[in-house]
Amino acid sequence: MTLSRRSLLQLGVLGLAGAGLAACTSNTGSGGSGSGAGETALWYWGDGLSDTVIANAGTQFAGQTSLKPTKVGGDFKQKLTTTLASGQFIPDITGIKGEDMANFRANADKFADLNEYGFSDVAGNYLEWKVKQGSTPDGKVIGFPIDIGPTGMFYREDVFAQGGLPTDPAQVGTALGTWDSFFEAATQLKGKTGGLMVVNASAVFNLVVGQGTTRFIDPSNTFIGDQQHIRTAWDLAVKAVTLGVDAKTEDGSTDWNAGITKGSIPVIISAAWAGIDIRNNAPDTSGKWRVANAPGGPGNIGGSFLAVTKSAKNPQLAYDIVKWILSPENAAQGFADASLFPASPASYQMEALTKGDEFFGGQKTIDIFGPAAEKIPIAFEAPADAAVSAPFFNELVNVEQGKNAEEGWKAAVEAAKQIGQRAGVN
Amino acid sequence: MTRFRGTLVHVVLGLAVLLSLFPFYWTVVMATNTTRDVFADPPTFIPGTHLIDNVNTVLANVDLLAPLVNTILVASATTALVLFLDTLAAFTFAKYEFPGRRVMFGLLLGLFMVPAQLSLIPQFVIMSELGWVGSLKALVIPAAANAFGIFWMRQYIIGAVPDELLEAARLDGAGFFRIYWSVVLPIVRPGLAFLGIYTFIAAWNDYVWPLIVLLDPNKVTLQVALSQLNVGQRQDYSVLMAGALIGIVPLIAVFTLFARGFVSDATKGAIRG
Amino acid sequence: MIRPRTAGAGTGRAGRRGVLRYWPQYLAISPFYLLFTVFMLFPVLFSLYLSFQRWDGLGEMTFVGLQQYRFLIEDATFWLSLRNTLLIWVMNTVPMLFFALVLASLLSAAKRFKGFYQVALFIPNITSVVAIAIFFGAVFSNQYGLVNLGLDAIGLPTVPWLSHPWAIKVVIATLMTWQWTGYNALIYYAGMQAIPGEIYEAARLDGAGPVRTFFSVTVPLLRPIILFTVVISTITGMQSFTEPQVLFGNNNAVNPNSGGPGQAGLTMVLYFYRTAFNNNDYGYGAAIAWAVFLVVMAFTILNWRLVSRRADK
Repeated sequence: MTLSRRSLLQLGVLGLAGAGLAACTSNTGSGGSGSGAGETALWYWGDGLSDTVIANAGTQFAGQTSLKPTKVGGDFKQKLTTTLASGQFIPDITGIKGEDMANFRANADKFADLNEYGFSDVAGNYLEWKVKQGSTPDGKVIGFPIDIGPTGMFYREDVFAQGGLPTDPAQVGTALGTWDSFFEAATQLKGKTGGLMVVNASAVFNLVVGQGTTRFIDPSNTFIGDQQHIRTAWDLAVKAVTLGVDAKTEDGSTDWNAGITKGSIPVIISAAWAGIDIRNNAPDTSGKWRVANAPGGPGNIGGSFLAVTKSAKNPQLAYDIVKWILSPENAAQGFADASLFPASPASYQMEALTKGDEFFGGQKTIDIFGPAAEKIPIAFEAPADAAVSAPFFNELVNVEQGKNAEEGWKAAVEAAKQIGQRAGVN
Repeated sequence: MTRFRGTLVHVVLGLAVLLSLFPFYWTVVMATNTTRDVFADPPTFIPGTHLIDNVNTVLANVDLLAPLVNTILVASATTALVLFLDTLAAFTFAKYEFPGRRVMFGLLLGLFMVPAQLSLIPQFVIMSELGWVGSLKALVIPAAANAFGIFWMRQYIIGAVPDELLEAARLDGAGFFRIYWSVVLPIVRPGLAFLGIYTFIAAWNDYVWPLIVLLDPNKVTLQVALSQLNVGQRQDYSVLMAGALIGIVPLIAVFTLFARGFVSDATKGAIRG
Repeated sequence: MIRPRTAGAGTGRAGRRGVLRYWPQYLAISPFYLLFTVFMLFPVLFSLYLSFQRWDGLGEMTFVGLQQYRFLIEDATFWLSLRNTLLIWVMNTVPMLFFALVLASLLSAAKRFKGFYQVALFIPNITSVVAIAIFFGAVFSNQYGLVNLGLDAIGLPTVPWLSHPWAIKVVIATLMTWQWTGYNALIYYAGMQAIPGEIYEAARLDGAGPVRTFFSVTVPLLRPIILFTVVISTITGMQSFTEPQVLFGNNNAVNPNSGGPGQAGLTMVLYFYRTAFNNNDYGYGAAIAWAVFLVVMAFTILNWRLVSRRADK
């Protein structure tokens, strides 16, 4: 056998394979908890917390524990659920996204009740509705508020001027304060500039539902998605389609990017953090955007929590770390580093939030989002809420594509009921 | 005529190559520009000069050296195991009659039809019982049971290995394993080359399972490490693509190495038209 | 097919000794079945058990009997996802395998640049899925996409690729075809390497042209490999998930994995994934997964029969 370059390479690959097998057998898993003795494991996702604050926390608590932060990629909920279900390698502290809270709240026995470790002393520093979102009906607090997503209306000042609409944020907020006046303005603007003020019908539906105090399932676990409050939201969404002011565009798509850049989509009604998306995707429009109060009143989209798991070796210490990371001062730092809008009103007075923003023509956006954050309605959100609401969004897209709105409503209610039934909703 | 045909072959193949490479080219365009340029209107279609910046951003956010070593170990070990075990089993299924053969083969194909995602939770439970959570074993050992590979090599052996050859070897006094080693393996090299490429790439790109089972942040694979770039509200696509490129380049090298195996000993030198 | 020779005489005697003489065969397949039982059979059986429960992934399980399967039969979304899956599968598999066969033949015929062609054709399979999704999303974008700009330039009406139910399926099928044609071409190419050159030489001496040679020599001799690709594309195509997920998975924050407008891109496995992992309805998810299994099995058997029977003629 002559050794050619190729066979040498192949031998090399085989050798590596052998080494791999050896390496695989030599390390056995440690088993048990997600961190070693004297360590505190913390799971979060990228931009979920300020990396500066996390690093400072490590220094702050260095005498008591070694903080081991991990940024988990991919589907965070899936990884956390799997780990909790297996009962092994569970972190001491974990992030929970706002939309997943209802589900984890239903499994509160996997988490520590933060009240036992002193949360009641600082609860007053955080928005009441947000604390409630992280609490179980019987009063256990499992989620320490990280951030929130108060909604506002981002609009292009230049396009509004062309459309003969008011341009000053305060005036816009008043003149377009209700959905009816918003649709009137949208019709006018379309006539003058051709711009479409609604990104898609689902966005309107989602906002209107979020502005109410009831959702799809009530606290006695009964389906109420066929009632008037949902119907009102549905009708407003359909109105955007029938008036022809709906751009029927998917958030973040190429058409969306082009629309916000060119001004054919001059309005984005969304959470405070959506400002980042606009800034990143339409950098050339800097200085042309403003923020006003959203039509129909404030609501919340997104936000997140930190929780201490039942497997935490030292829950008191874990809680102390969480409390430190999310103090009003550090929350303001979170806003500066990762655009996390604080859940603590005290932070709104701090410099990180009060300075003017050049992208928004020097506007102090906290003047809009701050008051909005404190006025967000408290609504009960059942674990199956998101699942049950899905058919309404699907059917709204069908209506945008030409389906009869009444048929769409009936189909949505029927599908929602069936999904609710599967989840044990009455 | 022949000359014309030869040209036509290259024209059609060239066209297919263009179509195949375009999105890859676009990955390169994205990785060498800034996200801003890529999503500008009109977008840029020419590679830019920001590759180094983007790669540096990747390296600043994730440590890639250890994940790279881990991934090479996992992919090589998996490939070696699969090539050996699958081919042996495939040869048995292709050329031998034994009690239970049909049932066993049916079971093997059947399990391939159950959506793999369903097994995530029970598999994780098994791994934690075995104490393999967080260990690279949890990736290599289950992947060594590869129904795809057995089915592929079985079909390949049926087509490529004539029964007469095996009969002749048997009359020469060769046993089962001897026939496998010195008669079958040399003939099925192109089949092995494909299986090797397939397995290596599948192991290299596997993402959902490693993400769940590798809990130690210091011991992850490349895809899991790169996934940390793809989180948060702001996505920097250029950095993402720079990371993707880092993940692809070694694969192309491995592919080129394996692709040489496509030339079979049995047909080497044969001229085809 | 070979029956192993036994020492001495006497064949066909059943019993322990009869089975034992197959020891090399059982030994050869045993590692696979050992791993298979632990890592695949057990999880699958566990999921069967799950389909009779209601479970959110963390809390207590509730036994609900056949209720999940009753829901499944009445669930219009499931039947829609089945229809979507079948349509996308046909629109993808037929052109994919045809082009793959053509490309493989050309690759065999080519005398130069073989290595380059192999690598290039395989590249779609290893290109980052995120990159592909962004690329396809941009190329097929309704108002500003390259495809529509092209259609517009030659005076044809534009197509709302990402919102019309049929167009969505075309886009998904195109993406899958693009991604997997080169892969299948390499499978065929590997298979063609086993066809001895003398057979082609004989066909050439008989005066057969390249097209006739292809149909009378290449295709019949490639039968086991063609059967393999048909079965594998049935199994994987029926379980298509990644492509619709990356293209239409995140329609908006409140409604992930809807599968695009009209749920036209919602495949069975995407629906399963959404039910189990997004809605935390693991019991129903398991029931969907078992329905997927039955559908895949039915089509695999059907296709196996079709391809094998054609081959017998």
